[in-house]
Amino acid sequence: MQAAQKVPLTIISGFLGSGKTSLLNHLLTQTGPSNGGRRITALVNDFGALNIDAELIAEKHGNQIALANGCVCCSIGDDLMRTFIEVMQQDPLPDHIIIEASGVAEPTRIAGFAAVDPQMRLDGIVTLVDAAAHHIHSKDPHLADNYAKQIAAAHLLLISKTDLADEKQRAALSDELRASYPGVPLAEITHGKMPINVVLGLNTDSEIPHPQGDIEHDFVQWAGHLSDMPRAELIAKLETLRPHVLRAKGVLRDSEGAYVLHLAGGRISTEAYARDASGHFVIIGKPQMPDAAALAKLFTRSAAA
Amino acid sequence: MGDKVSIIYQAKSIRTMNPHLPHATHIAVRDGHILAVGTEQDIDGWQEAWGPLELNADFAERSLLPGFIEGHSHMMEGMFWDYHYIGFYDREGPDGTVWPGLKSIDEVVAKLKEIQAARSDKDTPLLAWGFDPIYFTDRRMNAADLDAVSMDCAVIVLHASLHILNANNFVMDAADVKGADNSEFIRRDENGQPTGEFLGQLGYYMAMRTTGINLLAIASSPETLVNFANVARQTGVTTATDLVNPMPEGSEKPMRDAVDADDFPMRLVVAFQGNSKEPEEAVARMQELQESNSDKLRFSIIKMVADGSIQGFSARLKWPHYYNGAENGLWYIEPERLGDYLKAYTKAGMQVHVHTNGDECTEVALDKIEEALREHPWPDHRHTLQHCQMATRSHFKRMKALGVGVNLFSNHLYYWGDAHINITMGPERAARLDDAGGALAEGVPLAIHSDAPVTALAPLFTAWCAVNRLSSGGVTLGNGTQNITVEQALYAITMGAAYSLKMENEVGSLETGKRADIAILAEDPIEVGAQGLKDISVIGTMVGGHVHLNQGRD
Repeated sequence: MQAAQKVPLTIISGFLGSGKTSLLNHLLTQTGPSNGGRRITALVNDFGALNIDAELIAEKHGNQIALANGCVCCSIGDDLMRTFIEVMQQDPLPDHIIIEASGVAEPTRIAGFAAVDPQMRLDGIVTLVDAAAHHIHSKDPHLADNYAKQIAAAHLLLISKTDLADEKQRAALSDELRASYPGVPLAEITHGKMPINVVLGLNTDSEIPHPQGDIEHDFVQWAGHLSDMPRAELIAKLETLRPHVLRAKGVLRDSEGAYVLHLAGGRISTEAYARDASGHFVIIGKPQMPDAAALAKLFTRSAAA
Repeated sequence: MGDKVSIIYQAKSIRTMNPHLPHATHIAVRDGHILAVGTEQDIDGWQEAWGPLELNADFAERSLLPGFIEGHSHMMEGMFWDYHYIGFYDREGPDGTVWPGLKSIDEVVAKLKEIQAARSDKDTPLLAWGFDPIYFTDRRMNAADLDAVSMDCAVIVLHASLHILNANNFVMDAADVKGADNSEFIRRDENGQPTGEFLGQLGYYMAMRTTGINLLAIASSPETLVNFANVARQTGVTTATDLVNPMPEGSEKPMRDAVDADDFPMRLVVAFQGNSKEPEEAVARMQELQESNSDKLRFSIIKMVADGSIQGFSARLKWPHYYNGAENGLWYIEPERLGDYLKAYTKAGMQVHVHTNGDECTEVALDKIEEALREHPWPDHRHTLQHCQMATRSHFKRMKALGVGVNLFSNHLYYWGDAHINITMGPERAARLDDAGGALAEGVPLAIHSDAPVTALAPLFTAWCAVNRLSSGGVTLGNGTQNITVEQALYAITMGAAYSLKMENEVGSLETGKRADIAILAEDPIEVGAQGLKDISVIGTMVGGHVHLNQGRD
């Protein structure tokens, strides 16, 4: 059971109307095996809101919709445990699971499922914050505490509905979030558009991106090969890059053996890797991240070490 | 009419719950219904036109009441009886076997070792249930306790609350939890190691994912339903609820087959899980389900769950929230979406039962019901708040004004009363916990419940709780204004619950024309009085004229 890599789980959190479904729509249409991408299984509250083009739907069966691109959507129907059981019975297992959490869900509760599932790991919690409604949501008499928890749980914060907010609101919100959650990467999102690798991380070792350059929406990417750097040293170095690094992934080796390193938001995790490690390492960050030369230098093992 | 025989049952006393004839000694039954109630002479007159009455004296020394109605239970009560009961109190299984209570963690472990030693297939998962740590204050059960039972198979202990479970290291290794992210739902010791306790749904999920036992399938199987009915029967219940069921497509047929069988000893009201589909589809599904209604099976109510539980610190409370400083609880649905569902169901003329535990949640539910009624006025909607444990007198006043009923979780007073005084609510607020007296004083239709399997299903015990308000630690909750009388409590577990299910014209009292659903008791609860209510022996039940006797009762 332990041989295969665990399936990553990404939780999309945020209030009703914060743009969770738009983001999910965007992610689902950017990928799928038929596009050479990953097989995503998305857990949603409501198929109707997904607004998937009819020609994209390959098959509808009970609470599942198979998309033509190879992805699958499952409706949760207020029974998350049952839905996870069903999803984890799929053969083969999906490459990635995304859950669109309900507007009042505590994402850390959902994350617990990944913690106790032998074949799942938490990749990250993405929380959408509605720029136009933040002043209402943060003072809601019944929901303000819930709202604060969703934001506090995030590994990646996305400010949505910026087109509906005035410039002052938007700047104030950015400042507030940056001050409260200094280690958490923050980006703005319009109409759900966000590069899939920023939200879900890089798919597989074989997906070799361009070594350096801009990707859409003002994100930059750096790739390199690391040789035998002790993982503690590598993690310490990555820590110095926060909060400008959104994602990192490496299939690496050190004296303890082969492992996969994931960085989602400020959160770094490693898991054992059963096959040969390529040493391949990719970082996606914001333009403020150190440049390629600086990164190459940072991740070259010093002679003294 | 002709010469068909009707049976006239003689009893020591009959408490009818019919205000026009509260007390009687004879009851005549015909075609599953009550032909007449009164004295032997009162009933005699029916013979002339309706044929012979045959006297049955089997219950001549017994007391008869309307069959009890459990307005908030779950068929899951029937699912665990294939596993091992290890609770604190003696508990009777569906076959009448009494499982003795275990009074310490050591006794529990010793019992589990004994079970393991007796098993032929020692590698299969060992599952036990009913463990209740509130009675063991010296320490908590940990993985080492269960490792002592076996290191070579999964050993899993479900708590009575169903909110927590314990696992041994075999399970934790299989789930690979040790390296996992910190989760507040995995209890850890001072060194950060998991102790073996898992909170909420996580434990169940882990148990299923590591053992392959599909508890979800077992929970909805016909065998579980039959076990549930047999447990209910032993406590005098003739109508019970399965108060939230997602009813996937096609599930109604096997359910109807099981319930309609003559030897299935009760009526079942199933509450459709209101948010299992989007509002319009859910209304359509409910209409489809109602085509499967029969004399014994009813799809007549919708259930919505709005918050969590008080003892789990997941109920939504008004400021200042929890006595011990725990942060406020959880919404299980967005208030806005609760409102959307209430509007859709009110428009469609479907009665909704809303689970609200904390007072903040009760208030929001009432706001949403009020909004729905403004859009879709419906004088006798009878929407009902379930649990509603922390309602104030002002909430009850509002409920009265809106036509909302209440079904209070009176068993909580006994099982968690001490915890509510000392940990969750503090003494002042704990006084109003499950305030049945307040509800009746304000004119709110009242039922009381067990929420089985969360607490043991036994309406006479629930009535005892509402009458005495005594905690398991021996403390009385409140100042007397919250207590109800024995008569009021008996009404709540019969007509009160029937009214909450809109079945008061069919069941809930013993009077001409109603269904012959009867609880057969060893003693008359009115004569026994407040103290002994919970100890009255239930001899059996009659459901639609069919008698179901409990074994070994006198």
